[in-house]
Amino acid sequence: WKGHSDANPNFRTLGKLSPPVMRKIEPFGAQFLAYARRKRHGRTFSEDDRI
Amino acid sequence: MSDESNGVPATGTPEHYAIGIAFGNSYSSIAHISGEGKVEVIANEEGDRQIPSVLSYIEGEEHHGTQAKAQLVRNSKNTVASFRDYVGKDYKSIDPTPCHASAHPIESDGQIHFSIKDTESETENKVSVLEITARHLRRLKNSASDFVGKPVTAAVVAVPTDVSDEQKAALSKAAESIQLEILQFIPEPIAALLAYDSRSSNPTADKNVLVADFGGNRSDVAVIASRGGMYSILATAHDYELGGAQLDQILVDHFAKEFEKKHKSDPRKNERSLAKLRLEAEAVKKALSLSASATFSVESLADGVDFRSTINRTRYDILALKTFARFTRLVEEVIKKAGLDVLDIDEVILSGGTSHTPKIAKNIEAIFPESTQVLAPATTTTALHPSELSARGAALQASLIQEFEKSDIDQSTHEMLTVTPHLAAAIGYQVSGQSADAFTVIVPAETAVPARRTQVIGGLQGDVLVRIAEGEREIKVTQAAPKAKPETNGSKEGDDDDDDDSDIDEDDEPEEIREKVWKPKQALAEFVFRGLPKGSKVEVTVNIDAEQVVSITARPVGGKGGLRGEIKAAESAQNGSA
Repeated sequence: WKGHSDANPNFRTLGKLSPPVMRKIEPFGAQFLAYARRKRHGRTFSEDDRI
Repeated sequence: MSDESNGVPATGTPEHYAIGIAFGNSYSSIAHISGEGKVEVIANEEGDRQIPSVLSYIEGEEHHGTQAKAQLVRNSKNTVASFRDYVGKDYKSIDPTPCHASAHPIESDGQIHFSIKDTESETENKVSVLEITARHLRRLKNSASDFVGKPVTAAVVAVPTDVSDEQKAALSKAAESIQLEILQFIPEPIAALLAYDSRSSNPTADKNVLVADFGGNRSDVAVIASRGGMYSILATAHDYELGGAQLDQILVDHFAKEFEKKHKSDPRKNERSLAKLRLEAEAVKKALSLSASATFSVESLADGVDFRSTINRTRYDILALKTFARFTRLVEEVIKKAGLDVLDIDEVILSGGTSHTPKIAKNIEAIFPESTQVLAPATTTTALHPSELSARGAALQASLIQEFEKSDIDQSTHEMLTVTPHLAAAIGYQVSGQSADAFTVIVPAETAVPARRTQVIGGLQGDVLVRIAEGEREIKVTQAAPKAKPETNGSKEGDDDDDDDSDIDEDDEPEEIREKVWKPKQALAEFVFRGLPKGSKVEVTVNIDAEQVVSITARPVGGKGGLRGEIKAAESAQNGSA
């Protein structure tokens, strides 16, 4: 068993994610509002958590 | 979806009070969030929480709700009912059937109108369906304002999933004319799901939910992927000729025949007798949902003869057998449309007045495995009132967004934000030492990205290899007993139309055992932990960002030596989405 690289000897990648499907999220509920806020401000989960 | 362009000048006043309105063809309800933060369905002045969507006029006086509905007998020509589906529609595209017993829709300047005597004079006025809607909404708004003690200025309105933008614009316009701002339209199945999730201990759990909304004149079903508290509709199906009215008709026919046997005349042939039959049949149907028998009694039903009879629930269930089966078929149809199996559905929410019928709920429960929770009064003691779900969900959404500006809401609901990539396959793991086919899901398919899920793998020891892979769900069928013909209970295979009789033998034991199994499909990454002590646990976090880059972090619980790695996005996914 061989790792990905010397820097990360215990991890290796084998493949890639299948292409995603485009779907619509229904704009309702508290979780959506949080998502919309993140997306409109271009923030990630952890950046948003900090604010 | 709900971005109507007729931007109402934002009031911006802090005394914005928003309620939830469920506006149906047959019944409407209103709800708000009480001072203690609980959802409360508001009763109108007559004490009704399910308010009939009916308006009636006697000598210029307007009657609404239950009072107006009673006028269907003596004053049917001046009574308007079942008009919601006509709002914003073309005259040619509507089905006037539900209005046969009340004022008929007529065409005037290409618009749908009703010709009614709504003033004190004897002349008939042509009143547009928009005006009727505005009057109905005004009564609802006033009832809500009276109840909460402050003026209601805004609302979230629950509508079926197939309502077009033109219809929404027309509804907004009607509401605007009575100073009611519609902040957002919420699809009825989403509202029902919100109503249940708001009281759930774990509202952000990943699950597939089927919402069946069985109404008065139509039935709508939807399959929703609920992921981390966000909802994506996978499929919808509608039946515009299936609902409580069809069940009422069964009772109307039953009692009319009984009357005819006794008195040699058919009360269905007289308009007024038929209207009386219909009202009483609906009342009997509702009574049969609550108790095992009910009394049907109408004073002067036909030819001045009073009529009284009783029916028990078993009898009714037999009479309505075929119609009940249509509800089950609609549920099966939507699952098929979503490309899923009954085993994929985690939760079934029965909504709408007709969902009170115990047999319908039981029939639907029977097609699902035991692990699926069917939420209806007949199947779960903790179920919410099916008639109230849409209004409750709309009220919850209204309370969430009432302090926002309309422009903010429109921006947030724009397709730029709402159309996003969803995972095509589930992401899960395999651990060395298990069978090669074992696979445990971490992030289910149809999850919108970005997403992050964490799972703990237990019972590890020594050198452990964990492989992260995409997985596929398969339905494994094993024959249990080789007796009888297969496919009796066949959930979705071959039973299309017209084989209603197959539903009779639903108590038979299933001949085959169907189970859901996961198969790893495509490996994504691997990592190793060396020399783990006995009984170790490893916590794996999978994070997929907006660009479909997957990062994986894993660390032994209570130990040290965590590791992380990243899987780059597939090239084909790079065609800039949002």
